[in-house]
Amino acid sequence: MKTIVAISTPLAKSAISIVRMSGKNALTIAQKFFTPLKKQKLQPRKMALGKFDLGSSFEKCLMVFFEAPNSYTGEDMVELHLHGGIVLTQLVQQKLLQAGAQLAEPGEFTKLAFLNGKISLDEAEGIIEEINSESEAELKAALASADGELNQKVKLLQHKLKDILAEIEVSLDYPEEVDFEVLIDNIIKSLKVIKTELSVLISNSEQLKFVKSGINVAIVGRTNVGKSSLLNALIGEEKAIVTEIEGTTRDIVEAKADFKGVRFNFFDTAGIRESDDLVEKIGIEKSKKMLKDADLVLVVLDGSEKLSSDDKKIINSLKQPHLFVVNKSDKKRVLEKMNDEIEVSAKDKKNLQFLKESILQKTIGEDFNFNASVLANERQLEILKEALKQTKQAISEKSESMEILSLIIKNIWQTLGKITGETENEDIIDLIFSRFCVGK
Amino acid sequence: MMKQSFEAIVIGAGHAGCEAALALARKGHKTLLLTISLDAVAFLACNPSIGGTAKGQLVSEIDALGGQMGIIADKTAIQMRVLNRGRGPAVQSLRAQADKQQYHTEMKKVVESCPNLFLKQGEAERVLLDGDKKIVKTAVGDEFEADVVVFATGVYLNSRIIIGKYTENVGPNGFKNAKKLSNSLKELGYKLLRFKTGTPARVNARSVNFEILEKQPGEENIQPFSFMTTKKIKNKVECYLTYTNPKTHEIIQNNLDKAPSLSGEITGIGPRYCPSIETKIVRFADKDRHQLFLEPESLSTSEIYIQGFSTSMPTDIQEQMIHSVKGLENAEIMRDSYAIEYDCIDPQQLSLSLESKLHSGLFFAGQINGTSGYEEAAAQGIVAGINAALKLENKTPLIISRGEGYIGVLIDDIVTKGTNEPYRMMTSRAEYRLSLRQDNADLRLTQIGRDVGLVSKARYNRFLKKKENLKKAYEKLSEKLKINEKLIKFFKKYGENPPKNSISVKEAIKRSNLDAKKVNEEFGVFSEFSDEIIAELNLIVKFEGYLKQQNEDIKKAQKTEEVKIPKNFDFSKQKGLKIETIQKLSEVRPENLGQASRISGVSPADIAVLSVLIKKFEGEKHDTKN
Repeated sequence: MKTIVAISTPLAKSAISIVRMSGKNALTIAQKFFTPLKKQKLQPRKMALGKFDLGSSFEKCLMVFFEAPNSYTGEDMVELHLHGGIVLTQLVQQKLLQAGAQLAEPGEFTKLAFLNGKISLDEAEGIIEEINSESEAELKAALASADGELNQKVKLLQHKLKDILAEIEVSLDYPEEVDFEVLIDNIIKSLKVIKTELSVLISNSEQLKFVKSGINVAIVGRTNVGKSSLLNALIGEEKAIVTEIEGTTRDIVEAKADFKGVRFNFFDTAGIRESDDLVEKIGIEKSKKMLKDADLVLVVLDGSEKLSSDDKKIINSLKQPHLFVVNKSDKKRVLEKMNDEIEVSAKDKKNLQFLKESILQKTIGEDFNFNASVLANERQLEILKEALKQTKQAISEKSESMEILSLIIKNIWQTLGKITGETENEDIIDLIFSRFCVGK
Repeated sequence: MMKQSFEAIVIGAGHAGCEAALALARKGHKTLLLTISLDAVAFLACNPSIGGTAKGQLVSEIDALGGQMGIIADKTAIQMRVLNRGRGPAVQSLRAQADKQQYHTEMKKVVESCPNLFLKQGEAERVLLDGDKKIVKTAVGDEFEADVVVFATGVYLNSRIIIGKYTENVGPNGFKNAKKLSNSLKELGYKLLRFKTGTPARVNARSVNFEILEKQPGEENIQPFSFMTTKKIKNKVECYLTYTNPKTHEIIQNNLDKAPSLSGEITGIGPRYCPSIETKIVRFADKDRHQLFLEPESLSTSEIYIQGFSTSMPTDIQEQMIHSVKGLENAEIMRDSYAIEYDCIDPQQLSLSLESKLHSGLFFAGQINGTSGYEEAAAQGIVAGINAALKLENKTPLIISRGEGYIGVLIDDIVTKGTNEPYRMMTSRAEYRLSLRQDNADLRLTQIGRDVGLVSKARYNRFLKKKENLKKAYEKLSEKLKINEKLIKFFKKYGENPPKNSISVKEAIKRSNLDAKKVNEEFGVFSEFSDEIIAELNLIVKFEGYLKQQNEDIKKAQKTEEVKIPKNFDFSKQKGLKIETIQKLSEVRPENLGQASRISGVSPADIAVLSVLIKKFEGEKHDTKN
């Protein structure tokens, strides 16, 4: 049986918000992200204080677990009580969806509760009202986004998929009337077009994601190359403590700066080196983790010194997109020329504009149109990615099992339906008869 | 005149009527089977073939339930082919050319010799309700009385055939039609629809130039329709393929004004999947040719059926059209093509048991319910027969779910959504088609057939043995194939990367270039099992993931099917449902929550509300009792 998730409090600015899950895997899914703080125990019906792992950061929150059948729905349930905030709440829900929970239908919790005999008859009227108002709210939300460009584009993709489906179905129901080789060629061609369109939607949306939530830029480098100075220079204020002592920055320093309407989220990390200092060690661990979530990494090097073994270690371990920032251009250049390097001076605030431009280019790219209204939010983006995955699967599916191909294409169609709301595929047979000349 | 008394009366001895009557009689009920002509019993009025995509599955399902169609189709087959071989396990369907004469004769023999079953010629004119009794009056004035009646009148209700300007009020093939029964149905309150269909010309084989045409041979060693058929089926005839051409199309284009189906002379709604050739040419003007299959009708006649060439054009145009086709230049036309119009009922007036919602004890099956096809008719026939019998026995009706069989899909579709054209079964209509395969029809439905009392001991034992063998074979899947030279060679032979360690039989079968048969040939793991079991097992392993997903979907759907909507539940009195929803629900009167969810325009939120209302309704009923 599936595990469902929903945000149970209104999506608005509020002091707290609650995300709840119901289903056999509710606890397992929640525990992928939630760890109780020391001395906090997770036991049914007791609130536990803990941390929710959001990937790049942790959110302190409360969690409570209800064991079946002693819960609202009668199934295992988990409630997460978060600090209010639309983005945070959605992010938490997103994480749970990624881990296998499914978005609840309007009134589904209540329906479960009712079907599992958890609600008395006197309460029935209220429940009906609740379901109706929830579905109305959803309808309104759907209507609001129905005009959106993304919605239109996804709908178009759905129609293309439906056309392919009709082609497959007609070939299966009227095998004597169809040239299968031609058909398969055409289907693969069409699927490839859909694949490209999905990829474009995804990359556009990812760029837009940058606009909305900012670009995460990690600043790394061995100790004392001037990472903190660079951060301060980039944001124009003294955010990080700058000293001559190696290893001053022990925790991640986060700072934001706006540039051309895009937000940069800078993370100054602890210098990566072998350290005996426990506190610093923790800082280093965090740095490594943060690196993984960065959209771009600035590798800071000291222009006045030769490439050290620590520098090399960092460079070799980098897997994500990065830029070399050669600091201390105010001093004599000793460092060899690096690929993709930008020379700056944090001290004299030289060449910083150019660095910011480069960050934009490296992440968002040049051809990015800020006015594009094709906006996929986190949830939609996940759906598009899932659809892309399925499309690739369909393309690689062996042609001899048309039936399986049809199943996969139906799945893509349904996945995209989560964006457009079009999930009932009743007219496929009408489509067959209007499009194809079949029958004796 | 003395009224003769029966437990059940079946009106019509076509494919639906025969199955219904056999089911009733075999379950021990004294049954009268009325037919308009004894020469029209189980008559293949249109094409001389049984099965095909989705229809083949239906035949095997009827067979698994203990029906007759599969057995007769196997017995009278003169050619067999599997359609869609290699395009997916569930869309493969068996199609047989049946000997038209033999099919009729063999089915008639079975019906005639069945205890409790009385086959009689007579035209039913009127059905009257007399308390719980039903009285059927015939044209000659006979009166028969029974507790249940099954209407299986096919295309005979008020039917007329049309050939150009010529029309005549007769049934198919010139058989007498049923002139008054439509009125009786109207009297009883039924809403009637008018549908049409057609059948192409038959030509004499000696006049066809087969030598210049493409052969369509049959296949040997085919698994037959019936799980009880042990004899291998021999192909005795060949079919041929030819095409229409620009000249044919020109003749049709120039004479469109003479085509009754296009000029408005015919008002009945025809099936889109089986259009007349003139409709094809008008609607798909860009297609420069259409396929035509030449199929022998019987070993005892030279008549050849021209599949794909149905028309209602005048005979002189028909002749020109036929003679324009390659191979048919000198064809002697023996029977003209004709269109036929007939009355049927709106199937939304039926419940899932095929009993009328309007009058208890009246059942409907086959083309009278707006379907088309012999197989669709027989499928409804056996269900209506079983449920009429269960009614007599005061037992709950048999409802086959959409996850259990095409029969379930068929009945649920027409009863829940209705149909605005003759309904044909298609694999695309089944959402769980991967599970609804022809090869596993027995595994799906034999137990059900046994429980209702139609499955013989021999059939049941065969089923139990297959299940047992399948289980045993399944256990072999976890056996290990030791890593050695032989194993490595085997993998390489089929272009698969050899495993590094020992590998289970299941893992080996899962490899895309390997299958259970190959693994067995090499290592003999399944040597004690039949080919049928090995093929079945292979399928289960190969499609494990998809089948598992589908089974979960079926189980989920079942939950909503289990929530029954009480008979006295008044949708219009429910607060919280939208007015449009109430209207739709009141019209169809779904029997359970699952069926309600398939009514178009009923949303998931509506279903959530409805589920609460049902619980509430039942709770209140319970409260007043206390």
